[in-house]
This record gives sequence, C-alpha cells and structure tokens, in this order.
Amino acid sequence: MNRKQPRLRAQERENQRNGTLFALPWLLGFAIFIAYPLCASLYYSFCTYDAIRPARWVGLQNYQRLFFEDPLFWKSLSNTLYMVALGLPIGLVASLGIAMLLNQKVRGIALYRTLYYLPSITPVVATSILWMWLLNPEMGLVNLFLKRVGVANPPAWLTDPFWSKPALILMSLWGVGGGMVIYLAALKDVPEALYEAAALDGASRWSQFRHVTLPMISPVIFFNLIMGLIGSFQYFTQAFVMTNGGPQDSTTFYALHLFNKAFLDFKMGYASAMAWILFLITLVGALLVFRTSARWVYYGGEVK
Amino acid sequence: MKQRSPSLKLLAHLLLMGIGLLFALPFYWLVTTALKPDTQIFQMPPAWIPHPVMWNNYPKALHYIPFWLYTGNTLKICLFSVLGTLFSCSLVAYSLSKIRWRGRDLVFYSLLATMILPGQVTMIPTFTIFKWLGWIGTSLPLIVPAFFGSAFHIFLLRQFFMTLPNELSEAAKIDGCSEFGIYWRIVLPLSKSAMATVGLFTFISAWNDFLGPLLYLNDESSYTLSMGLQRFVSQHGAEWSMLMATSTVMTLPIIAIFFFAQRTFIQGTTLTGIKG
Amino acid sequence: MTKPRLAKPLPIPHLKAFCLGIVLCSAFILAGCARTTSPKVTEIVYWTGWSGHEFEAQERLIAEFNRTHPHIHVRILSQFGTSGYQKVRIAFAGGATPDVMSTVWADELAAYALRGVLTPLNSYLKQAGRDVEREYTPGVAKMLRIEGKTYGLTVTTNTSFIAYNRAIFREAGLDPNHPPQTIAELDRAALACTKYDPQGNFVRYGFRPSQLSLWAYVFGGKWYDTATRRITANDPHNLAALRWMVSYARTYDLKKMQAFQAGFGSNETANGPFFVGKMAMWSTGEWSQEYIHRYAPALDWGWFALPAPPGGRDKTTGAGGSVFVIPAACRHKDEAWEFLNWMSSPHAVASFCQSIKNVPPVIAAAKGNTFFQTDPLFHFSIAISQGKNSFGAPPIPTWPTYRREIGRVEEAAVLGGEDPDKLLNTLQKQMEKELIESREDLQR
Repeated sequence: MNRKQPRLRAQERENQRNGTLFALPWLLGFAIFIAYPLCASLYYSFCTYDAIRPARWVGLQNYQRLFFEDPLFWKSLSNTLYMVALGLPIGLVASLGIAMLLNQKVRGIALYRTLYYLPSITPVVATSILWMWLLNPEMGLVNLFLKRVGVANPPAWLTDPFWSKPALILMSLWGVGGGMVIYLAALKDVPEALYEAAALDGASRWSQFRHVTLPMISPVIFFNLIMGLIGSFQYFTQAFVMTNGGPQDSTTFYALHLFNKAFLDFKMGYASAMAWILFLITLVGALLVFRTSARWVYYGGEVK
Repeated sequence: MKQRSPSLKLLAHLLLMGIGLLFALPFYWLVTTALKPDTQIFQMPPAWIPHPVMWNNYPKALHYIPFWLYTGNTLKICLFSVLGTLFSCSLVAYSLSKIRWRGRDLVFYSLLATMILPGQVTMIPTFTIFKWLGWIGTSLPLIVPAFFGSAFHIFLLRQFFMTLPNELSEAAKIDGCSEFGIYWRIVLPLSKSAMATVGLFTFISAWNDFLGPLLYLNDESSYTLSMGLQRFVSQHGAEWSMLMATSTVMTLPIIAIFFFAQRTFIQGTTLTGIKG
Repeated sequence: MTKPRLAKPLPIPHLKAFCLGIVLCSAFILAGCARTTSPKVTEIVYWTGWSGHEFEAQERLIAEFNRTHPHIHVRILSQFGTSGYQKVRIAFAGGATPDVMSTVWADELAAYALRGVLTPLNSYLKQAGRDVEREYTPGVAKMLRIEGKTYGLTVTTNTSFIAYNRAIFREAGLDPNHPPQTIAELDRAALACTKYDPQGNFVRYGFRPSQLSLWAYVFGGKWYDTATRRITANDPHNLAALRWMVSYARTYDLKKMQAFQAGFGSNETANGPFFVGKMAMWSTGEWSQEYIHRYAPALDWGWFALPAPPGGRDKTTGAGGSVFVIPAACRHKDEAWEFLNWMSSPHAVASFCQSIKNVPPVIAAAKGNTFFQTDPLFHFSIAISQGKNSFGAPPIPTWPTYRREIGRVEEAAVLGGEDPDKLLNTLQKQMEKELIESREDLQR
C-alpha cells in the first residue's frame, strides 16, 4: 500500500480532482450558506443574546443553567428520548412493512400506493382536526373501537399526560409514507435474479427476506434509521400545532422548549446552547449507529 | 416477481384494502370537510357525508385568494428547486460514493452534521446572509440554495449509489469513459427510482413550505399557496370549509405527480442480466 | 488496472449552465420586483397581523387612507399565522423591518421597546396634540406606557365577561335575570348547572375557571407592581385566586371534565360546548357574540361581568390587542406617523372595531358610534373596558415568559395537584431573577 506505482498516483490525483469537483456544489454551499450560521450559533451559545441586541459573552453560563437550573430541560429531554426509543423503531418497522406490502404485483397497486402515501401529504391543519376527533376521549373512533373490543376505560389520549405521547406516536404511524417511498424505491432495485437464485436453492420466503431483501436494502434502512434518529430528536411540528407542550408539559419536546426559549423568551443564546447539546446527543446516537453499520449494512459497490 | 398462491394473493388484497381505507381517511376527511356547511365540520359524532353538499365552497375559496397567481409563484419555486436539487445532489452524492479521494469522509460526516443542528438557531444567521446579499423580498433564498445541494438528498442518493456494483463503472473506464461520463451515462440511468424519489420529495417540501416564503417574501404578488392558506385562519377561528377546500386543491397536484411518477419507481433499475 | 484516460474537466460546462441558470432566474425574479412610483408619493410598507375577514377590513381602511392622503401610499402586507411572530422577530434581528407594523403582541411590546428597536412616539403625539392617558381606556393606556414613554398605539381591545345559557339556568332552578355576582354565587350556579348520567359521566357542566393571569386581578391581586417595580407573583390575592381554581378540582373530577370538554374541540367552532348547551357558563369576550350569532343563532343567552369575592375587584377585564409600532429602522418616520396617527384616530378605530366586532380602546371612538351605543353587549363591554379594573400586559420585558409560566403554574396546581403556595413562591423567585437579569442586560 505504501509504495504506489506512478500510474496509481496519477489515478489518485485524478480521483482527488474529480472528487472535489463533483462535491464542489455542496462545498460552496457549505461555505456560503451553512458555515457562518453554524459557527454563529456555536458562538451565541456562550453568550447572552436576544437576537436583537449584540451578543454578550458569558462563558458557560447558558450550559450551567441548562443542566442545573432548568427542570424543563430534563423533562423535555426525557419526552424526546421517549419518542426516540419508542416512536422511531415502531415507525421504521411500520414503513418497511407497508413498503413490502406495496411491493407486490397485484392489480391496482398504483392506486394502493397513492392511498398509502396520502396522509403524509395532507396538510397538517386537516390532519390535526381529523385526529382531534379520532382521539376524542368520549366519541372518537379510536376509543369507540377500544370499547367495542372490551376496553372499559380507554385512555383520554391527548388530554392525559400519560397517553399524550403514545397518541402522537399513533398519529405519526399514519405518516410513514415518506419512509415507505424510500423503501419502495430500494425494493425495486433488488435484482430479481437474486430471488430466483434463492428460490432455486430452496430458500423459504422468510429466508429470502432475511438473506436477500434485508441485506440488499440495508443501505436504505440505514438511511431511514439515521434520518429517523435526527427527526425524532427534533420532533416539533405536531406538538407545536396540536398540544403546545401540554398537558402538564408531557409533550414539551426538546425542540419545542428550544423554540419557546428562542422566540418567546428572547433567549437565542440559551436556545443555541440547547441546540448544541442536542447536536452532541444526536451525534453520539448517530455514531453508535455508524459503528454497528459495518456489521449489517451491505454496500454492493463501495469503493474500497 | 415471485409466484404466489391465489389464497396468499387474496390475503394481500384484503390487507392492502383494509389498511388502505385507514390511510385514505385523512384525504376523504379533507375533501368532505371542504364540502360541509360550517355547522357540520365539528359535529360529534362526526358527519361522514356532508349534508347539504356545499359545492360552492371550492369556487368561493379559490376566489378568496389570488389562487392562480399563488400557484404560479409556488410552481416557479418548486421547479427551480427540483432542477437544482437533482443536479447538485446527484453530483455530490456521486463524489461521496463512487470516487475515492482524501477528505471525502470528512465532507460526508460534516454533511450529516449539518442536518443534526435544529434549524431554529441557524435561522437568524442565515437570514442575515440573505439580507447581506440583498435577497430579502425575492424568491432567491428559496431557490438558490437548492443548486448547492441539500444534505438530506445527498445522503439519500449516496446510499442508493453505494448499492450499484462497481463492475459497470470499471468496465466503462476501461472503455475510456470519463468520470462524468460514468456519472451521466451509467450511474444516473441506473438510479431513476432514487432520482424520482428525490425529485418528488423536493417538489413536495417546496410546495408545502410555509416558513421559508413567510420569512423571505415581502410582496403579495410573490406569495405562495401555503401562505395563502393562512389567510383563512384568524385569531379566534378560521374559515374552515374554505381552508379545507384550498388544502384539497393544493394536495391534488402532489397526488397526481405521485401517481404518475410511480412508473419510475416500478421500473426501477433493471440490473438483471448484468449482475447476479 | 489499465491506464486511465485523462478525464475531461467535466462539470465545467454544467457549472456554466448552472451559473447561467442562476443569473437567468435572478433576472427573472428581479424584473418582477421592479416597480415605479411617482417621486412625490412616499410608499410606506405596513405589516398587519390580521387575517381572514379582519384583513379585508384593514384593506378597506388602507384604501380610504390612500385616497385621502395622496402624498403617501401605504402598501399593506399580511404576516399572519402561527409563525407570524417568528417573522417579526427575525425581521427585527436581521434589520429588515417595514415602516409600520401591527404584528407586535401587546405581551411583547415592552420587550421590543426596551431593546431600542421601536420609535418612541412621544414627540409626535405632543405635536399632534394627543394625550394617550386621556384618549385611551385606563387599562390600555397603562399598558402602552413603558418607562414613561409610548412606543405603540392600539386600535382594538377586548373585554372579559362570562356568557351564560339562560335556558340551562332556568332548568337548574336559577334565576336567569340574576346571574352570579360573587364567586360564591358563581360556584353554586356552576354546581347547579352540572349534570351527570347514571354512570357518573358528565352530560353537561356549569363552569370551569381558567386563566389564572386574569382571575388573579379579580381576586384583588397583581403580577407586577409599577410603583416598586417588582414582581408580585406570590401576592396573597393571587394565591387566593389559584386556591379557588384548585377548589374545582375537589368538587369535580377535572380530568373527566377536561376530557368531556375536549370532546367538543375548540370553543369557537360550531360544536363549541357553549353553543350546543353542554357548558352553562363561558368565560369569554365580546368577539364571541359574532360566533354565537353564526353558530347558535337560537341560543337564549346573556352575559355578566366576572364575579368577584369579598375584597376583590368588581368588573375586572383584561385589556390588550395588537400594537401598531414604527420600527426604529423606519426610513419614512414622518409619513409612518401620519399613517399611524390616522389609523388610531376615533374615526378609523370606530370603523375597524365595528367591522371586526372588537371593543375600541379609544374612548371617543365608542362615544360617537351608534353601533357601540345601541348594541347591548357592546354597551356593556365598553363600559367595563373603560372602568378602572382593566388590566393589560405589565410593562416589563419578561412578560411573555412570565405569562407562560403562570399558565404552567395553573396547570400544575389544578391538574397536577401541586401546592399552590409553593408554586407561586417558586414563580416569584424565578421571575424576579429573570427580570433583574433582563434589566441588567438592557442597561448596557
């Protein structure tokens, strides 16, 4: 490896040039639009900054307050971890399951796919009103169903601090369309020949799934996992629109707390500190996933 | 596709239909709410069928805001975003998956890192950049960044490109094909489904984006549909049926695009015969 | 490995196309923005926070102003929605504010004013011979005075009262012509109107107090003392108000009541619990009359001022509304003032408030207008709004935070069963600290 032949050197130089050139759009975009905001927010996290007057350096004060004087910080963090630990895996499995279901050759499949994609493109105003009555403790469809199957005291969902997060997870299951489309595109890329070969070898349906499908789409599972992780840590919109943190802070997620600090309390510096802590937490999570990825993600054509 | 027994097929059908109904519900709800009189919208238990059917809500809503103007504005932003994203992201993703160069991993990880920081704290510095460029009040802040790639889509395309076998590109290289040629003639055609997915996602997010236009547009004549929707919402309530009617109309193009773009997903990449 | 052929410097043609694309699309966009205005006319840009039919009422007023003031052209722009205030904040942060805006919440007025991004209006007011203290209702006037200066003017305010269902009162054996006047009477009426089914589920409920920030005033309390410039979160009257709210959690199963209430969704929709006769008394304001007319035209209903306990305040109301301000960065301040002066004139205020059915904060606007004088509810509401017990946002920069925390304390006490005394003491310490820090920060 150390002693390279001149030809390879030339190849390396060329790769270096091509690689940089191809990546240039993003490198430029990063330099122009991203680098400054990133650095600025890191700087603000060490400042008292209200987003209007100039920032004033206060050292670690924001971080110290976050950890020692803001109970809602911990509460919102645990609310968010709940979503990561419970909502994320459920969502991943559900979207893959539905994508598998939609990857069949049955009549009218195009229509089904569209149907399944509908919730993720319906505007939030409409879906939130719909869910308001679906989850209505008294007359909602969900509880009517639960009562029918024998649950005497069904949960009060969004008005009960214990059930509000499960209610939001239930809702999110419905919007798995985005992840589903990505899986679907990946499933379509699995070469038919592999299944044929597996079938010839007498592989069962399950073992085809286990040994052909899963490895072949693992790069995309990996993508959905990483994106889901980032998305769960930043979970915001539904809580902002439907519950605004309540009841009793049970849906005050990290990003919502951060938003309130930044835009209601005029504490952009504090919010930036929160953002960077979230950054670190998410990074650790992502790195853990990356660590394990070598064991389960199969890349067909990675340049080694 | 694998052969299935008739009973399994029937089961699949039933399953698809059952869950499908559940998933169709929000859209049904959207359409019918738009057709309901005000008194029925929040009725408990809910009214499944509007009575009387207020067909009028649709034309009323579309006249309430300059619908066609807003549609044109939105389409313009969407079109440029999709073009820019497809072009820039596929190039960068190619570089991050198919070319081996020093610094590649660093670029890839910093790309991921940019997605991890919540947007709320970078919003203001970003705004100041666009202010400095003199772009406030134009749609440039909504369009130009797309030409520099978005981390999400680069990552997605990279994952897809990684699954493509290298034998093809190596063969092409031996035949004297340039790196760009490989990207353009081999990798892109094999990634139609991924490109279609990225195009669809970009279109949808630009189509539905509310905060971006709200922050940067300062002229009613350049407003987008999602901003128009807000016109129906007021402090203590909303013009519900008109809101729903406009939402329905706003959703239709996406449904149409998705329905027809599926062809691309379905075709996928026919690697059969090359590999396997 | 075979010898690789030198690749072309490939993306270059595409980069060119890409640059061309950018140039083209920017030209395209900029061309759309170019506008010509005659040199004598000053264009001022105005951001409004009103939407829906209220936006149309604004548009009509602007058209009138433009007609009668040929040297100024006001361009109105709606900045609505839940993200509207984010836009305002970012506009201030990035220095991209319009000439006039009514998108600043009363709650945030002091926070912006004390950060120096608003134009003080005192000299303009003086020049125009205007006096906010005399022109405006007391609650609004107090709210608009921040550290001795005026930074904004309002054109609407609201009045708090309780709307009640007369038919339910009769059914419950209460006299609909003598609605509750004291807290004790309110509690009794609430109990009398509440009905359960045999399983103990709510069929209808009488009343559920909410909004501690307002009821504290009813009980004689306050959140901030302007004289001592100190936070008064643990004022004994505030505590009494919170204790009273908590007492409802002992009388009723509030979780059940809340679930029952949630069954109807928002109060101001066709299925609102008051409209469909499932809630006997509704703590609301004058704007709800429109909704009642629209969704429950047949409802037999009346209204009464917030009842007070002994030692409390009679006819208490909240005050507030969106505030019109001239950002410090405004380039046409004189013209902006001319517009603001006109918008806050009795004529414009009366016209706007009448069309959107809000209480006018300008005393003269209510006086000269037949609708406000003849409509019984507005007659009542305006009298209350002009009384001495009307309270707007305290003029402190931390009020948005403070107010949200009051809401959290209320929830923790009423639903979470936490100790009201302890909660308010903690709030006191916390908010004192916030205020001191904020003041220190604003000093520099």
